[in-house]
Amino acid sequence: MAYEENGALQSLLAARGVTRRDFLKWCGSTAALLGMAESFAPQIAAAVEGAVLQPQAPALWINGGACTGCTESMAQVDTPDVATIVLDLLSVNYFETIMMAQGEDAEAAKADLVAKGGYVCIYEGTVMTGFEGNALRVAGKPQVEELPEVFENAAAIVAVGSCAVDGGWVAANPNPAGGIGVLEFCKEHNIETPVVNLPTCPVNPEWVVAMVIDVLYLGALEDLSVLDLDEFNRPKGIFGQTIHDNCSRRGHFENGEFVTEFGSVEEAKGYCLYAVGCKGPQTFTNCPIVRWNGRASWCVESGAPCIGCGSANPLEAGGNWVDVNAPFLNRHRDIHVGDWVTQPTVVGAAVGAAAVAALAVHGVGMKAAGRMDGGAPYEEMKERDAKKGGGK
Amino acid sequence: MAHPAHYREAHPMVFVLTHWINLISMVSLAFSGFYIHYPFFSGFMGVARGMHFFFMYVLVVNLTFRIIAAFFVKSAVVNGSRQQDTDIKNWLPQEANRGQMIPWLKYYLFLKKDHPLGAKYGVLQKIAYIATVPLTYVMMWTGFSLYGPYMNHPWFESSLALVGGPMNMRIIHYFMMWVFIIFTAIHAYLANVEGFAPSRLIFAWKESEGLEFDPKTGKVVGGKGH
Ligand code: HEM
Ligand code: HEM
Ligand code: SF4
Ligand code: SF4
Repeated sequence: MAYEENGALQSLLAARGVTRRDFLKWCGSTAALLGMAESFAPQIAAAVEGAVLQPQAPALWINGGACTGCTESMAQVDTPDVATIVLDLLSVNYFETIMMAQGEDAEAAKADLVAKGGYVCIYEGTVMTGFEGNALRVAGKPQVEELPEVFENAAAIVAVGSCAVDGGWVAANPNPAGGIGVLEFCKEHNIETPVVNLPTCPVNPEWVVAMVIDVLYLGALEDLSVLDLDEFNRPKGIFGQTIHDNCSRRGHFENGEFVTEFGSVEEAKGYCLYAVGCKGPQTFTNCPIVRWNGRASWCVESGAPCIGCGSANPLEAGGNWVDVNAPFLNRHRDIHVGDWVTQPTVVGAAVGAAAVAALAVHGVGMKAAGRMDGGAPYEEMKERDAKKGGGK
Repeated sequence: MAHPAHYREAHPMVFVLTHWINLISMVSLAFSGFYIHYPFFSGFMGVARGMHFFFMYVLVVNLTFRIIAAFFVKSAVVNGSRQQDTDIKNWLPQEANRGQMIPWLKYYLFLKKDHPLGAKYGVLQKIAYIATVPLTYVMMWTGFSLYGPYMNHPWFESSLALVGGPMNMRIIHYFMMWVFIIFTAIHAYLANVEGFAPSRLIFAWKESEGLEFDPKTGKVVGGKGH
């Protein structure tokens, strides 16, 4: 399907002050985001266009244990841009934070759609299993009671934000709420609905838009391989390379020019943040390319070391980004030796020093035993042979 | 004054070379590794990483060569004798090592006065040397899992998932450096504490006089200091 000018879309764009040129440019960058060549832009344009003519696709936005940060992040798509148009293609029947309906009406709308099935379920926040599910109650019931059906009947689940992916900071040690990610919950309940994981805290709206296009219009529902997911169900196009690979401060990294203290000359010069704990080398997202806040800037560009909010490990307890990356200003995470919380550097140096000290003490013993000059005299025969009463 | 004679047959020239290459690689890797861990002075990251990526190949190729050579090169069966056998046999447990584990431990804990008999390498020494082989390969594996050009390979990707991601892999790699440092400290200490004859041989390929041993029974049969 080639891109042809389409009246319906044109008027939608015009109503939002978006030129056709902007639209095509946007299609190009979305293609890149989906891991396609920019030459796929017309295909995306055609998909979006076709979609405008179709009825809106039904969707549910379900909040788990969430700070609504991801909702906020989506809401920053406020200036009328192309992304909003794509999101308008979804008919979101339930969205706690921003929907008009309330109380029983809202719950009924949700129940209706769940019964019908075939919707896209966008899940924000942590699945709260703690206190027999009472860690999170929705409409008078533990949320985990309604989730199996909501997930089961969905055509696809998009887990937005690290919390939905693997519990996120809510699941950080000691995790009193029993927070887990959507994928883990589905696995525990044998739910086979495809889950697309979009970590970072909060989620980047650009990624949600890209997934909506993929899932709804580029055939991901018929053929999941379109999504090209990694083993953590993250789209490789977005989460396939490290931040460090694409960082604008990388030149300073290779030059060995580091910020070691905030407020220093080095910081003013925009040196690399490795020595103040930047987790860019271990974090797989394309933040440096897509950036944040309407592509204005991103963490490292604005001067903060990456805190690794995009690292995820959906099926492993303790795999959440906070446990994996805290403390944020240290290069390595903390490790727990019993109740003792410490840094790998401290453990390494302590064990190394203990070994050297033990050798020094042993050396004193060797000296005292007079073994330094050639060792003790050799035994006549092995002890075991001596015990047997003479050697061979 | 009772150390065994150290003859070149114990460490043929190739192994003197592999030991040197190994030592230089290890020191370079540990130094550049410390720098990568935390850049403690400025202006060196590119060099440190280049050094690390160069010597990691040298280390692994050298070790692999050393292992293959063990099957083809002969080395002395026991210090204080020139009689040789295929080198790999001197690495694996031998009749002369049998039952000597406890005596060695007792000797080093000052619970036994006499020096235990043994083959070219004592029991503890053998365990430690053999352990460096898998350790080095595991080090290689953890290192490649962190190495940009390879980290996306399915092998390394699944290893990263296995240990819970690249942060944990880095910490494992970092801790293993300390294992090597501690091994080397103990190894260098024990190799030299009773005299420098072993080091003269492995580094400068210089022989030293000393006790003669019967390669069959492993017992002292004469030589200087008998
Ligand atoms: C045997 C093959 C080895 C390979 C393939 C390897 C590879 C690597 C790689 C790729 C990195 C990350 C560099 C970066 O991200 O810029 C690294 C870091 C490091 N390596 Fe190695 N290395 C090897 C051996 C060693 C050895 C023998 C030592 C020490 C005795 C060592 C000590 C370290 C240390 C301390 C770090 C820094 C880890 C951190 O704190 O993040 N490596 N190595
Ligand atoms: C300060 C550094 C070192 C010193 C002084 C040293 C000394 C020695 C000496 C004296 C021997 C001969 C032992 C004997 O014949 O009884 C030896 C052998 C050996 N060393 Fe080292 N060494 C050093 C570093 C290392 C390191 C870093 C490694 C590996 C991580 C290593 C691994 C070995 C091995 C595997 C042997 C067996 C010899 C062979 O390959 O045939 N050494 N070393
Ligand atoms: S600031 Fe972080 S991501 Fe950027 S080059 Fe430095 S360590 Fe890498
Ligand atoms: S740069 Fe790091 S901390 Fe910032 S959003 Fe991306 S993954 Fe999160």
